[in-house]
Amino acid sequence: MGKTILEVANLKKHFVQPRGLFSALRGQERIIPAVDDVSFYLREHETLGLVGESGSGKTTVGKTILGLTPATSGRILFAGKDIAALSARDFRPLRKDMQMIFQDLDAALNPKMRIRAILKEAISVHQDINSAQVDRKIKELLEQVNLKESKLTNFPHELSGGEKRRVGIARALAVGARFLVADEPTSALDVSIQAQVINLLRDLQKDLDLSYLFISHDLRIVELVSHKVAVMYLGRIVEMGLVDRIAKAPRHPYTHILWSSLAAKESTEASGTSSEGRPPDWGVFDFERPYRGCRFAPRCPVYEARGRPEKCTNPSTEPQLKDIDEAHKVACHFPL
Amino acid sequence: MRGIPILEIESLRTYFYAKSKQAFIRAVDDVNLHINRGETLGLVGESGSGKSITALSIMGLITAEPGVISGKIGFQTDSIETNLLQDLDDYVQLTSSDGRVMEVRKDCTGWQKHVEGIMTKIRGKEISVIFQNPRSSLNPFIPIGKQITEAILLNSRINNRREARERALYWLEQVKIDSPRLRFDSFPYGLSGGMCQRAMVAMALASEPSLLIADEPTTGLDATIQSKIVDLLQQLKSALNVTTMLISHDIEVIKRLSDSAAVMYGGTVMEYGPARDILLVDRESKHPYTEALLASIPSEKHIKEKAYLQAIEGDVLDTINTPDGCRFYARCNRVPEGIREKCQYHEPDLREISPGHCVRCWLYFD
Amino acid sequence: MRRYSQVSRHVPEYSELPFWKKAAPMELAYVAYGLLVLALVVASYILGAANLLPRDPQEMDLQLLMAPPGTAGHLLGTDFVGRDILSRLIVGIQAYFLPGLLAIAIALTLGTFFGVLAGYRGGRIDTAITYAANLIDSFPRLVLILLIVAAFKPDIYYIMAVVGLTNVPVLLSLIKGKIQFLKEKDFIEAAIAIGLKSRAIILKHILWYNCRTVLIIQATLGMAEAILIETSLSYLGFGVQEPTPSWGNMVQAGANYFMQGKFWPSTAPALAILITIMGFHLLGDGLNNILEGKRSS
Repeated sequence: MGKTILEVANLKKHFVQPRGLFSALRGQERIIPAVDDVSFYLREHETLGLVGESGSGKTTVGKTILGLTPATSGRILFAGKDIAALSARDFRPLRKDMQMIFQDLDAALNPKMRIRAILKEAISVHQDINSAQVDRKIKELLEQVNLKESKLTNFPHELSGGEKRRVGIARALAVGARFLVADEPTSALDVSIQAQVINLLRDLQKDLDLSYLFISHDLRIVELVSHKVAVMYLGRIVEMGLVDRIAKAPRHPYTHILWSSLAAKESTEASGTSSEGRPPDWGVFDFERPYRGCRFAPRCPVYEARGRPEKCTNPSTEPQLKDIDEAHKVACHFPL
Repeated sequence: MRGIPILEIESLRTYFYAKSKQAFIRAVDDVNLHINRGETLGLVGESGSGKSITALSIMGLITAEPGVISGKIGFQTDSIETNLLQDLDDYVQLTSSDGRVMEVRKDCTGWQKHVEGIMTKIRGKEISVIFQNPRSSLNPFIPIGKQITEAILLNSRINNRREARERALYWLEQVKIDSPRLRFDSFPYGLSGGMCQRAMVAMALASEPSLLIADEPTTGLDATIQSKIVDLLQQLKSALNVTTMLISHDIEVIKRLSDSAAVMYGGTVMEYGPARDILLVDRESKHPYTEALLASIPSEKHIKEKAYLQAIEGDVLDTINTPDGCRFYARCNRVPEGIREKCQYHEPDLREISPGHCVRCWLYFD
Repeated sequence: MRRYSQVSRHVPEYSELPFWKKAAPMELAYVAYGLLVLALVVASYILGAANLLPRDPQEMDLQLLMAPPGTAGHLLGTDFVGRDILSRLIVGIQAYFLPGLLAIAIALTLGTFFGVLAGYRGGRIDTAITYAANLIDSFPRLVLILLIVAAFKPDIYYIMAVVGLTNVPVLLSLIKGKIQFLKEKDFIEAAIAIGLKSRAIILKHILWYNCRTVLIIQATLGMAEAILIETSLSYLGFGVQEPTPSWGNMVQAGANYFMQGKFWPSTAPALAILITIMGFHLLGDGLNNILEGKRSS
């Protein structure tokens, strides 16, 4: 673990959702705080896992860091420079150092371009390079991601999911990036192919000294590849720390539920009916539900068990991320 | 009574024709399965394994051509005993070369009509299905309570609307949806994925079918909801003893809910037997594919040691290019030198290697 | 009974297939016919420009008025003043070929430029451009052309320039629609992520890979439309003026002789118009289906 290459401070990304035809006129736009005051840092050769269910904002964090969507406020320090407010033009030269492995396999590759053209484009974007060098670089990339040369003349739709994913990785590497945001790299892939991709990512990290922001909802895989993990819920980080510790002894009620659902699914014993730690069935999981104070309170078993303490739902005492242990932060008034 | 097969599939083949390539997609290629009364059979497999197509073939929902081309699907309940693919031979002619079907002549429209005649009496009434994306299976414009009521009126003996409504409410309670009376009048868009799936389960079970087919019931739902749905299915299983065919690519789910399991790959069954035996990681004799599949899932051991997963080389078989020999040969890492040629050119058949446990692999019988 | 047979054990990949296997036979027939028509048009243009005609189109043979096709020396017969119809048809292309290209060029360049601007930038620019486009669209084209003809002269090039201009709104909204649709796609986001400049993204990813089909098809339709418009104008007497032959004015001139039961002087150019327009339409249609067709996988 070397120096810090990425530091995110108080990042916010709010989406404006209009309501009805005349919303703008009546000032009734709804603001969706998809990312609401998120802070973390990433060091060289480290993998930070970002977990959460759908709607938690984890993908938005990734896209904002890479400048694919402008941040509403906050700072993003990459290699010491604040990139949060950079214009598109100023951002462009930095793109060779940071790349994304997109979640959607199909859409991230132009369906009308052959694989060779896709890779060639990525290679020649930031550097002047002649065709012999391009060929050499392409061969090198194919070897790194373990893709057959015969695939170069194919179109994306002729490739399997795993192959498409590997092309995505190759493209990110082609630009020369050392910091990769992997957005759900194993979703939509068969189990046996997931293992290939995970192994590949780990090998690449070792061989090329890469740093990852690993966004996933698959907890087991995050446990396997990450050093640190940050758990997000409705736009905020609720717990963050070393992955082993968090998986074994989570301190935030939500984290506890996430990991115990996993264990429950995997255990071969029947579970009982609703009990401690198993909250009532979830309602609609998004910003529809009005909340005041802690976002998790409406579903928090600890909140219920403690007789609904006012502290949790008071907007002025909304729980902030605080150190609870060495390198372990939790945002909760009553951590487990 | 246990031991009586409700569903017995023999040599099912469902092919699709790719016009641009002039070749067959052999989606289901000689599948043999059976489910006994009260049992849950888990179909495990990755994409292209043919598990979903098998379910659709049973239900007569295959419309692409040529579709089902051979096989027998025996369906037996207290009141019915029939072959769902009755008279298929009257509509299909096959021409094979070297044991591989190369030409199909089929009267598709005729067969569709014939199947509809059989299946309208069975679909929804004797056999119910739950599909993967609950939201797309529910009508977005009709409240769920009403949808379930309609299903009951259509598929069960109840023909009094008030009675059907009560039954619908009863089933919503059975699937443990919270505030059932309130949710009765809710539209699907107002419900979470988990709740929609519960509504689907209610609708499927309300007609008290003899067989329930659940196709990827937990896929696409958030992690925390998945475990709740699995809980629900388990509770219903023990309470109602529903005979179920559960299809999933999630091995944990299959392990938890199934009595017996069938592992599918490339359109056919590679291994079949008691779920606990086949799907437990440390068990010995099993098909190389099953073994490799289990080894590629991160387990406690992997995580503790931060070990590399054992990935299976190559890509999942594309059933348009079904090989001559064993379908898994290209990716198998347990092929011994002696029988290499056998594996490459001759497909093994599914044979019993111990009571109730069948494997399709040359390693186990010679 | 339907028959499905697999020809060989080895199944080719999509990218290996030659393009004629990827398309339905009907589509190929359309395109073949269209290309034939296009070839004839180009050939006629060249012949006309180089004056390599079977006969002088203005030469009047008063002995041989309204001769039927197949008469010696006149493959398609003669018209009402004894001029060779075939030669006149060939020369008649001059009225359509270059002017048509002008109309297409104007429509495509302006339509694409403003469509891209409106689609990519959006906001007020979009509103302004769309407003202007709707304005142009609301003008009855024929009236506009007549105004131009009255203000300047009945030069076919002026007319086609107006035709081109009035086609800009259609093209503009087509391109704009495509751009708005594609802008949201992940592969555009990915292109931005690897650091491509906006210009490169638009030109390459959007226009070249995804819009060129639409543009080609619009070009073919544009040609067909040019012919149709000239014909209508000629009928009103505002198209290409005699003695320069255009198919439109040939039809118009021959129309008087219908009462006498002499159909051929009008019918010949009318058939030429029909065959040619159909050719361009089918070319456009066939290309559309082949190039934009869903790829089965």
